[in-house]
Amino acid sequence: MLGRDGWAGLAVLTASLVLFGLTLGLEGNPMVPIGPGFYPRIVLGVTAVLAAALVIADSLASKRRAPPRGASDYGLVASMFALFGLYAGALSFLGFRLSTLLYVAAANALLAPPRSARGWARVALVALLTTVVVYLAFERYLLVLLPRGRWTGF
Amino acid sequence: MFELLGAGLANLMQVKYLVPLALGTLAGIVGGALPGVTITMTIIVVLPFTFGLDPLQGLAAMTGVYVGGSAGGLVTAVLLGIPGTPSAIATTFDGHPMARNGEPGRAVWLGIWASVFGGMLGGVFLIGATGPLAAFALQFGPWEFFSLFVLALSMVAGLVESSVLKGLLSGALGLVVTILGSDPVMGRERLTLGVPFLEGGVPFLPVLIGVFAFAQIMSEVERAGGVERAAQGAQRALSLAASHVKVLWEIVSRPFLVLWASFIGVLIGVLPAIGGSAANMMAYDQAKKFSRRPEKFGTGIPEGVIASEAANNANVGGSLVTIMAFGIPGDAVTAVMLGALTIHGIQSGPLFILQNAQLAYGIFAAYLIAHLLMVVILAVGARWMLRVVTVPKAALFPAVLVLCTVGAYALNNTMANVYILLTFGLLGYAMVKTGFPLAPFILGVILGDQIEINLIRAIMTDADPWLFLTRPISGLLIAASVASVVFALWQHRRQQRRLAQRADGDADF
Amino acid sequence: MKKLVAGFAVALLPVAALAQFPDRPIKLIVPWAAGGDTDNIFRPFAPLMQKHIGQPVVIANVGGASGTKGAKEAKDSPPDGYTIYGMHDYIHSTYYTGVSDVNYTDFETVCLVSSTPSVLTGSPKTPWNDWKSLLADAKARPGQISVGATLGSTSHFFPALIEKAAGIKFKYVSYEGLAPRMNAILGGHIDLTDANLTQKGKVEAGQLKFFGIATEKRNAEMPNVPTLKELGVDVVYDVNRGLMAPKGTPEAVLAKLAAACAATVKEPAFAESMKKQATDVRYMDRKQYAAWLKQNDDLNRNLAKELGLSKR
Repeated sequence: MLGRDGWAGLAVLTASLVLFGLTLGLEGNPMVPIGPGFYPRIVLGVTAVLAAALVIADSLASKRRAPPRGASDYGLVASMFALFGLYAGALSFLGFRLSTLLYVAAANALLAPPRSARGWARVALVALLTTVVVYLAFERYLLVLLPRGRWTGF
Repeated sequence: MFELLGAGLANLMQVKYLVPLALGTLAGIVGGALPGVTITMTIIVVLPFTFGLDPLQGLAAMTGVYVGGSAGGLVTAVLLGIPGTPSAIATTFDGHPMARNGEPGRAVWLGIWASVFGGMLGGVFLIGATGPLAAFALQFGPWEFFSLFVLALSMVAGLVESSVLKGLLSGALGLVVTILGSDPVMGRERLTLGVPFLEGGVPFLPVLIGVFAFAQIMSEVERAGGVERAAQGAQRALSLAASHVKVLWEIVSRPFLVLWASFIGVLIGVLPAIGGSAANMMAYDQAKKFSRRPEKFGTGIPEGVIASEAANNANVGGSLVTIMAFGIPGDAVTAVMLGALTIHGIQSGPLFILQNAQLAYGIFAAYLIAHLLMVVILAVGARWMLRVVTVPKAALFPAVLVLCTVGAYALNNTMANVYILLTFGLLGYAMVKTGFPLAPFILGVILGDQIEINLIRAIMTDADPWLFLTRPISGLLIAASVASVVFALWQHRRQQRRLAQRADGDADF
Repeated sequence: MKKLVAGFAVALLPVAALAQFPDRPIKLIVPWAAGGDTDNIFRPFAPLMQKHIGQPVVIANVGGASGTKGAKEAKDSPPDGYTIYGMHDYIHSTYYTGVSDVNYTDFETVCLVSSTPSVLTGSPKTPWNDWKSLLADAKARPGQISVGATLGSTSHFFPALIEKAAGIKFKYVSYEGLAPRMNAILGGHIDLTDANLTQKGKVEAGQLKFFGIATEKRNAEMPNVPTLKELGVDVVYDVNRGLMAPKGTPEAVLAKLAAACAATVKEPAFAESMKKQATDVRYMDRKQYAAWLKQNDDLNRNLAKELGLSKR
């Protein structure tokens, strides 16, 4: 029977063995005496051994304490990640200004759902303020170029 | 040296450096004070702003964040009993009771002045030790660097509280990240797994930003508003008046305590990637052990506040030494500073202080001046700090994530970094949830390429692999890394046995 | 739908760009870390070019993999003139040694900017005081004297040419970029490397040794450094840097960029900052630069073959 650690160890073990297999196909370069697979194989070997040890240690551990459970809102975490994923994807199509505006508004509404017209006004204000301040500070003042949209050119 | 320091101080007094330094210090204090926003996160947010500044302006801002953050945490810790940042955990033990006993001003100012003393002692070490250590490090060839990095990694992996095995595995996973994408010597693609944004390899800053920012923010999101409720219960305005003379005397009359706590802070700072959260706890523990009235700890006595706050600011000085002399980050905050150096094309490592004397002494000066600025800012603003602390997280977190995105993107103007940010954000959160420590992982990602490059350089210079053991410094470092893992295992075993015994009999203390 | 919109946008781009190029900041990709030689040359160049083109020119350092990461990114950027690329001779050598698949033909020329002669440089911990003693030692111990180099790039080609001309054999250790090479050579962990006259201060302080400069004539800044030709090693080698734009950039946009580049190169302030980099200002217009690149490419192909480094 495996616990949380055991499954994590097993996942790492599998991944490192797969990667180890991939290193075997790497070609060397005449300019470097040892090939590009040499060091990865050491690292992956060590990782695999450690992961195996974790699996063994976990399966040997007799007592298992239940992890302390609080009221955790995993649904909110998942939607925050999903939202950020959409944001990252949108950046190169809609450009920084548009996607940031939408993202901040959506994230703000998700974290503190607005219940009235005032609430929505707050969401809009937060999104607009964040976008404008960040954009002006970087692109205008600090000369850090922000992504442009491929669709919008904006 | 003093001439250079004087020049550095004079240089820093220019408006163009003083402004970023003051803003950085302010950002650090605010970020440190916000529960759930660590110093690491604050510096991550500040990072993109430094891209457009000149190197010293950027580093001054970051030094300010670092110094200010270590002190900012104490205000929240004292007044709300919630550590604003992990490096102020021990400050809550005595600081909060003291505030509840009707002396909030005394508690806050004890902390602030203790931070100044600890910080200054750390500064003396920083300025005195960096040069000689750097000169020593110049003797290091590829063998020594390889062994040093291995030592750093094994030490951090061994020092994590939970499980040595998980610490080591975490470090190894960090190294695995660096073998993906391309080999650092010839830049040939390897192990890209067919993912296009992995082609150039994985740069460490987006990984660091992703892991820390998401691990932190998502853990807060998951708890949904717990912190905000606590903060709302607190009084919004209260008097923080205190007699500075009395407070200063309370500190100065305990020279041994201040020195010892600062020493612990510096020492922990010099050791790679442990950081202030360990320093304040350990100093508090030591203060209790050496005290004549250990039973009073936790009731609101000054010793507890002094030990914790002196240690976490001294820790900053120690971390800066490691990064400036060896190019190894002392913790996540200095890792971001290392990234900022690289962006400005400054090679950290043994030649740093020689080749960039102006910059190095500028950082020293920034470190010293930041402490003064911190006192001024807190003197003016401490009473408003609670208002800042209650900034709604729903507005703060999206803004922080936007800044993280800008930081990752602007690093070298590629969207690939943003995808890496998200990928490692997911991984970081998963690691927190499965109890894998983040520090060894990050250090692995930072040092991985260097370990590989130095290994290959060593072999290209001389085909004899035994040189890693037979060259004296290298051999010593390898021996030390083996010893550190063995020691960690032994200590862990002992601790578990003690826990088991305690569970068998009854808890008598 | 996506493709349609994207295609439409791309079709519109050149027209829009033509209208009022440039109407926003221009990104100049430098394929090495900031503070390296290439960066040191384009840093002072950017603000001056900004003056002539009327929009900020922002340097983006995209370092890594012998400079080929930045090359790849420049090649894949939209050809609208808002991304330009600071290139040097490594583009040929990394192509022929198989480090990268990007070649100069993936870009349009804008103009050639500068040329920096190479200098054979040694560690202070080496026993040789001049080329003669170095040569004698190299003949006695073939393959044992270590040279730090960015493998497959110019700092690898230069010592390889010396090897061939003098009939000796070195051992190469990978140190990418001048800064790490300096660390290693000051600490005595490598014996020789390719550097340039910017390291003059360190030589005068006794921290480095110059064995010979790869020019036709001695340099006026350091007349006591002999040329390799005088020493009987027939090697003349320099590193040339210029501006390129992704293939397909509209002609009108290229003309604007080229005009701004030409005006910048002729600025006295630019000449002044190049002097500090021990670099000669070397201007060529679009056509000349293209012709020169072609010639240089043939040269590098043959070199790679002769040196046994060719993978094509």
